[in-house]
Amino acid sequence: MIKAKQWAVACAAGLSLLVGSLGSAMAQQKELRIAYQPNPLQEASIDMMLKWGEKNNVKIIKVPNSYGVYVEKMTASLTSGSDQYDVIWHNDDWGQLWAHLVEPLDDVAGLKYADKWSTDPIIFFNKDGKTTVVPMGQTLGALFYRTDLIKESELPKTWKQLVTLSKKLQGEGKVKYGFVGGMDPNSDWNSSLWTLWNNSCDVMKPFGSRDNAVLAKNGWTSAFNEPCMRQVVEFWWDALNTDKISPRGMPAYGRNEANAVFTVGDAAFTVADTTYWSEFNDPAKSKVAGKVGLAQFPIGPMGKNVTLWNELWGWAIPKAVPAERKALAKKMLSDIMLDEDGQLALWKKTGAPPPNAALWSKIAKTDAFMQSLQKYYLDSPHKIHSAYYFANWPAVHKAYNNTVTKAVTGGRSDIPKVLAEGATLVHDAAIK
Amino acid sequence: MKLKNTWRKTFGEQQRFMLMLIAPAVTLLILFQAVPIFVGGSASFRDWMLYNPKKTWVGFSQYASVLTDPAFLQIVLPNTFVFMFSSVAISLVIGLALALTLNRPFRGQKLVQTILLMPLMVAPVIAAIMVRWMFNDEFGIVNVVLEALGGEGQPWLVQRWSAFSVIVLTDVWLWTPWFTLLLLAGLQSLPKEPFEAAAIDGTTAWRVFRYLTLPMLRPVIIVCIVIRSIDAFRTFDTVWALTGGGPARETELLSIYAYENAFVFLDFAKGSAAAIIGALIILVVGLALYRILDHVRKMS
Repeated sequence: MIKAKQWAVACAAGLSLLVGSLGSAMAQQKELRIAYQPNPLQEASIDMMLKWGEKNNVKIIKVPNSYGVYVEKMTASLTSGSDQYDVIWHNDDWGQLWAHLVEPLDDVAGLKYADKWSTDPIIFFNKDGKTTVVPMGQTLGALFYRTDLIKESELPKTWKQLVTLSKKLQGEGKVKYGFVGGMDPNSDWNSSLWTLWNNSCDVMKPFGSRDNAVLAKNGWTSAFNEPCMRQVVEFWWDALNTDKISPRGMPAYGRNEANAVFTVGDAAFTVADTTYWSEFNDPAKSKVAGKVGLAQFPIGPMGKNVTLWNELWGWAIPKAVPAERKALAKKMLSDIMLDEDGQLALWKKTGAPPPNAALWSKIAKTDAFMQSLQKYYLDSPHKIHSAYYFANWPAVHKAYNNTVTKAVTGGRSDIPKVLAEGATLVHDAAIK
Repeated sequence: MKLKNTWRKTFGEQQRFMLMLIAPAVTLLILFQAVPIFVGGSASFRDWMLYNPKKTWVGFSQYASVLTDPAFLQIVLPNTFVFMFSSVAISLVIGLALALTLNRPFRGQKLVQTILLMPLMVAPVIAAIMVRWMFNDEFGIVNVVLEALGGEGQPWLVQRWSAFSVIVLTDVWLWTPWFTLLLLAGLQSLPKEPFEAAAIDGTTAWRVFRYLTLPMLRPVIIVCIVIRSIDAFRTFDTVWALTGGGPARETELLSIYAYENAFVFLDFAKGSAAAIIGALIILVVGLALYRILDHVRKMS
């Protein structure tokens, strides 16, 4: 009987010790939930978080979300006040949309190393003048060309030269097309928008302004009735229909189709995100691997300077996250800004300039691609932001893309009429 | 305890058992059908931007905004009806032809039947991506064949009617087997005697089809048309993956219009209003079709 009692006491003590130790282990193991979209750049940034988590005894939980529903899903999560995610993917397109829903991050120490242009207050600051993003990497469109076909000295400086060179290469049977780039609503940065900005033009007036107060003062006016816009549309109409330097199906192309034409060796030039650099040079995925170079955008008839964009993808913390987890998330984001090895790995994996801008020159010492990127893009003084930062921008962008598509797929003589209709559509989309 | 007694008094043991059996399905239906419809319906009368859900009551202004939108009236609605009519009509004709072919025994009939049903097993979004590449102007098999035959490759997805035709073709490919399956079942359930009598009389195959098969199969055909029309009216995935409603909104259907407003432009209220207008339209169309069905049944 005594023996049985002793056994019972021993078991109870053992059980309580076990439960206690498990409980304390669980209490020590903190968690951070990261909402992201599966993409090489985000995966590379999360790799740094995982490394940080191991070092700091924090469990990093990856929660992938489809790109197709990311903004609406995350917006619904943010407005519901849910704390289901501690860190979420953030970028310039919805910088202002979420400014009131995410935590100010100006106290993140590592932010002092971020690129100044892409962390522009107009994009990421909330109404109290505090930033809401920590960058994970830079995204910028760049002009790629075939180094086996074109010498650096022959690179076109103007659209006219681009057309002439393209026709020459096509005439010699070296390529099927001179230029290819995505033109659908998700990829028109790679076609109409780069030409727009390199013809001293813009989607709305005044050109180059992203200040909503200024745009409102100008009556949210579209630039579709401007001569610079007509030149852009006529350039693409000719490229597709008369000069035939681009595939006729290009108005329906997304990034995948355009990249396929370039990597199969059918085009001499393409504009794509720099993150495709590694794919273009991967012999398993590209027939032009090792024959790809980086060039500057050629300018249009009214273009004054070579103009480009350089935006960031970043991370934000929802306001509804409890204070303790917010502090932990901020520490993690600050620490990964200082993780030099992790950022170098991110650069190698993705071709995206890392978030710590101080590392760019260091990388350029040994990396020819970064040298070109700095020379032509990152250090350029003539930059433009690649989106607008008001709530109706998605509708304005769609109206802009629809108008350009309609103009380049219709009759050339109909272009002025289509653009005039487009001016109204863009204006209406902006003020609705 | 009182509630338990009332429950026991109101329902007999068998009824209670039946209610328990359907309870999980009803719960799911309420959670995933009734509640979202109620939330969407409520949102359509409010100022409800996803990024700033004020939820203030605005009456019918969202409905007015949709119904006065020229794009909705001149592009979206006509496109939706043209798509619904053409897809259902073509699928029905091909499905009926295939069902008639499969209704007579021949060597390998089961194998052919299985192969014909394969599109039903493919997710529409996957089929759409596949077709998008098939009709790609540079790499697509369609242009390769066309050029091999001496024709000129076309940029199929750049012009309105060619893009629209590709969408209809994809939908027809996906849904013809469904028509085939149902019509074949209908054909196999028809009484044999009238056909035997016609054979003894030496009636031609066309007259048998025209005066026997078609009238007797009419109720099945109408049911197929009603179900498939409602389904075609709300088609989304095929069009979204193939053209995204482009080029320049030329292939935009009602579902794309509602989706873009709600989840791309984040105007949940206008998107909900568009969806409810669509639901009301298809309700009217569905009721009209059901009336025809009822009439045909009585005639039969």
